Amino acid sequence: MNNLILLLIVVPLIFAILFTLSNNKTFYKIISYALCLFGTTVSIMLAYHGTGNIKISGTAFSIVEGIIIICELLIILFLFYVSIKNKRWGVLTLTAISTVLSVYTTFFIGKSETSIINVDSLSIVMALIVNIVGTLIVVFANGYMTEYEHHRGMKSKQKLFYAVICVFLAAMNGLIFSDSLSWMYFFWEITTLASFILIAYNADAEALNSGFRALFINIIGGISFIGGIIIFKTSMNIDSFSGILAHGRVSSFAIIPVFLLCIAGFAKSAQVPFQSWLLGAMVAPTPVSALLHSSTMVKAGVFLIIKLSPAFAGTSLGTAIAVYGAFTFVLCSAMAVSQSNAKRVLAYSTIANLGLIICSAGIGTGVAIAAAITLLIFHAVSKALLFLCTGQIEHTIGSRDIEDMFGLIHKAPALTLITAFGIISMILPPFGVLVTKWISIEASATNPLVVIFLVLGSALTTIYYIKWLGTMLSFPSVNLKPEKTIKRPFSVYLVLSILSVIVLAISIFITPIYNNLVAPEIKSLAIKSKDSLSAVFGDVSSKSGTFNNSLVFIALGILIVLSLIVWKVLVSKTQVKSIYMCGENNSPDNDKNMFRSGNDSLVESNISNYYLKDIFNEKALSTLGYVVSISIILVVLIGGLL
Amino acid sequence: MIQSDIIKILLVVILSPILGCLLAGLDRKITAHLQGRVGPPILQPYYDFRKLLAKENFVSNRFQNLYILAYFIFILASLLMLVFEMDLLMIVFVFTFANIALIIGGMSTGSPYSKIGSQRETMAMLAYEPILVFYIVGMFMLTGSFTISKLNSFKLPLIAYLPLIFVCMLYIMLVKFKKSPFDFASSHHAHQELVKGIMTEFSGPTMAIIELSHWYETVFLLGLMFIFWKQNIFIGVIISIITYLFVIIVDNISARLYWKWFLKYTWSVAVVVSIANILVLYIYKIKLS
Repeated sequence: MNNLILLLIVVPLIFAILFTLSNNKTFYKIISYALCLFGTTVSIMLAYHGTGNIKISGTAFSIVEGIIIICELLIILFLFYVSIKNKRWGVLTLTAISTVLSVYTTFFIGKSETSIINVDSLSIVMALIVNIVGTLIVVFANGYMTEYEHHRGMKSKQKLFYAVICVFLAAMNGLIFSDSLSWMYFFWEITTLASFILIAYNADAEALNSGFRALFINIIGGISFIGGIIIFKTSMNIDSFSGILAHGRVSSFAIIPVFLLCIAGFAKSAQVPFQSWLLGAMVAPTPVSALLHSSTMVKAGVFLIIKLSPAFAGTSLGTAIAVYGAFTFVLCSAMAVSQSNAKRVLAYSTIANLGLIICSAGIGTGVAIAAAITLLIFHAVSKALLFLCTGQIEHTIGSRDIEDMFGLIHKAPALTLITAFGIISMILPPFGVLVTKWISIEASATNPLVVIFLVLGSALTTIYYIKWLGTMLSFPSVNLKPEKTIKRPFSVYLVLSILSVIVLAISIFITPIYNNLVAPEIKSLAIKSKDSLSAVFGDVSSKSGTFNNSLVFIALGILIVLSLIVWKVLVSKTQVKSIYMCGENNSPDNDKNMFRSGNDSLVESNISNYYLKDIFNEKALSTLGYVVSISIILVVLIGGLL
Repeated sequence: MIQSDIIKILLVVILSPILGCLLAGLDRKITAHLQGRVGPPILQPYYDFRKLLAKENFVSNRFQNLYILAYFIFILASLLMLVFEMDLLMIVFVFTFANIALIIGGMSTGSPYSKIGSQRETMAMLAYEPILVFYIVGMFMLTGSFTISKLNSFKLPLIAYLPLIFVCMLYIMLVKFKKSPFDFASSHHAHQELVKGIMTEFSGPTMAIIELSHWYETVFLLGLMFIFWKQNIFIGVIISIITYLFVIIVDNISARLYWKWFLKYTWSVAVVVSIANILVLYIYKIKLS
């Protein structure tokens, strides 16, 4: 197992170096396929190998500590350099503060001489997500980036792009296996830095602004993280997750360090009031957004919070976190309703789902933790799929606006069907995301405030996805004939198909996934909680109810079989007629819906979706979000201090 | 065990459309009387259904009928789950699947009327879904379970503790039955400004399947109301009948309202009232005994 972990961290770094060696696109292709193959194989081998601990002490420990100190120094120097060069004084100030704190922790706080690499079920889950979904995104980038740079008339910087992504993946792998808080902080900072470079990739004003905003917010999170480490160490002599787990539920003063770590998680997961960096991150190329939103960056934040859940489960801090997460869920779902930019819809949906994960972690019972971890899995895959689809749609029709996707099924049937499948997997049974939503509502039903937020939020979620789905599929047509001019890069469609298969597979095999990967983690995280979830043959049940997912699959199976049997009648070509326009079928070639106006000219009927911008006003809701979320955070902090 | 289950399934599959059909006939009869007409025979919906089956099947999008098949199967699935007294929250999610299939079906035809109808239906869904789920959360707070069968072990009915939610459920039944004043997405008669809204482009056998699904849906919705007093079958049925009569009468005495009105007042009044009901249960720690 030692070797597997070492491979997962070191090999992506080697790949990063390989990418910088050449400018050849074919070479990139081979390397990225190799990376994907490597990541998938090793992470599956690790999952097969199971959980365990590796103790690091003596020389090995000193070497790792040495490397970490050198790299931290380099990171700090780089941050100083970019912030001074671009005159970002806010970032510079924050960097200075975090430098002081880092130096303080490194040299003035006593350190333990050993550490462990902790391979628990949650880190295995994360490793699978990072190394399978993450590397698939790299393969996707192959068919995407050249076209992307070509569109924008950029000089090719793909070398940098691929290398940074590889470093990012390596850092994620390090982060999820670290037991020591300070090691995790180190990897945490690398992901911050890598995301900054990737967001600012286009190097225009917008990209730089978004990049620095991301950097600014994530350094705030970093400072909060390191503050938590210092207080933990000085007041309770805890410097690792195993220490936190052993300590169990915290009380009074100890709330502060736990909460500081949670704030770091909120910032990384772009929860309100930190959401602006993730929305800004959309200026980056699609593979970057997909990577940040689904498998890496934001998942690090919720990973930290789930890991901390034994410390706050059942306390008032836990309840506050649950309310906070639920509030983010409903608020961001409401804001997503008013958006017509598909990427913005997805971004708000990501923040909302992360809020739901945080909310479940805050509740902290066995069932709730189960909801959090399963949602983490399902969301990562479905969201990666949807982001990549949106990117490809943008290349196909030149727009990411939902209104422009009208009749996309006619132009690019395969792409539309995959996107439609991605959307369905986010909102409908029998797919995993909905099952986890069911678990979270049932787990939270004892807290009325939380459950009210979740219910309203899930109603809103359905709405903004249906609009998109309906618009894409809408077209009166005889045949699905893809337009010949549309380019279909092989690696793009390969990755989209693989991800769809994974989405379907994990929903079908929810039972083994739950029993082997999630259940053991719940046993270790929520020891005190008596209630738990069980999964048999796709049916998920807790003591308060059962989701008979197998029956939904049977219904779906009947639907498929039945439609295949009557396929000829069902989709017969001969009976296609033009649509009913109250007798006004005026279009010369029958491909437009036209009405005749008063002066006898033809007017095309144009129906757009409802966005309810007056009700779910983004600006007003953001302000509300800032006020409420900052007050929740302040109340908890001040309450903890008193 | 399995044999009796199969018989139960068969009974539901066969009897509920008959019941739904008769209820639809009754609706037309009562409505006619209220309007001073004699009205069609009580079996008229069945005659219509038979006639629709014999008609040609015209479509505007080759794949639109697939969605209707999905709608039909998932309505049936949710009804069966209800009869087998499973987890109510799951049932509502399966029911949502059916409704979304219908909405997307309407959108897919490309007709401007269907598209507006589908849009309005999504807005209606946004309004009524929270209330449905609050009803279920209220049930959980009282019984400690989301499973309907758990209700059998309690003496007192849900309606005694969820009176406000009951009123809200009555209110959203109007939109679920596609009745005036909330028949803005699609009404039973093609006499509104949207022609027939979502269903404008569906004809012949597909329309027959939609009618059939409506009959199942009628039974499903009345079943949801039945649960309010599940312990006593007699009173439970009376509650369902009252619901149906309420819907018919309101349909005849009101004019259609704008969807925005519905959304606004459902969220600002009905949702708040439901939440109040739940908060009372929580604050006084009321449980069924």
